[in-house]
Amino acid sequence: MEINKIIKSGLMETYVMGIATEEEIQQVLSLKKEYPAFKEALELLEYDMEVLAQSMGIEPPAGTLSKIEHEINEIQRRNQALQTTFEPEYRHEKSNGESRQEKYIQVESESNQMRINKAWKWVFIAVFILGKVFLACAIYFYLENRQAQEQIKELKIELKQKIR
Amino acid sequence: MFKAVSNNPSAESKDIRWFYDQYAPMLLGYINGIVQDHQKSEDHLVAILTSFVKDVIILQEKCRINSWLELRQYAQSKLTLFTAKDYQLKPNPSLKTERLDLLDDLQKQIFCAIYYHGKSIPYLATAIGCDEIEIRNQLKLSIDKMRRKSGN
Repeated sequence: MEINKIIKSGLMETYVMGIATEEEIQQVLSLKKEYPAFKEALELLEYDMEVLAQSMGIEPPAGTLSKIEHEINEIQRRNQALQTTFEPEYRHEKSNGESRQEKYIQVESESNQMRINKAWKWVFIAVFILGKVFLACAIYFYLENRQAQEQIKELKIELKQKIR
Repeated sequence: MFKAVSNNPSAESKDIRWFYDQYAPMLLGYINGIVQDHQKSEDHLVAILTSFVKDVIILQEKCRINSWLELRQYAQSKLTLFTAKDYQLKPNPSLKTERLDLLDDLQKQIFCAIYYHGKSIPYLATAIGCDEIEIRNQLKLSIDKMRRKSGN
């Protein structure tokens, strides 16, 4: 029988040890559905693994259970506190839903930010640098021009004095 | 019938107690096999059982058999700090159990590496230096040996 061969192949052992590949897991699940003998053998192996774990078990020290219960109670208390904080707000919101609609103006919320390609970064850097270069040039030529005009002015005065 | 302890606010502590009585010794034995420190194992036991009760639905009676496998894999995933480190293919000498003593050295190496540290078959084939089929065979043989001890 083919199914007996599969049962003896070690596939089930790989599965219960939690190291089966995805393909093997699918195979086990479909065989489990298809063959009752396979399902039975797998359940027996799982039970035996539990018995094996029991035989390798260590009794926890006294007080461990109360620690766990305390932790769980703490978590439950925290969850309940969170629920009670949010629930009245929710109820209030629900009952006043219509009046709230009157109180507030509905605004279309659109983001005021835009997404652009990262390549634009270099363009912006180039524009910034060019802007700085143009600014420096403008200042330089402005000063040059002012100096030239002053010299012209002086020359004109000199010329006038010579003519007299 | 399935009953969730964690998601049910009316969950009684007797359900947790039942789960604890059923699985805590097994889990502590398993954690100790990984962590190899008794005090640390106890701390991990509290943390893992608490988060398991919180995160996972505890199945009763009908699905009782699957709960251990689920819990073992859950514990293994929580102890990745210990299982992920470079594993020495030498079983923990403190692991003295009657069942493991039935295995020869190679079988013990393979079983412990897979059971406690979740090492894969290809990993073990490379580490030990034999083919994957041999690893599979040895794993099956070791499980069969230990099962026979329980009379199955």
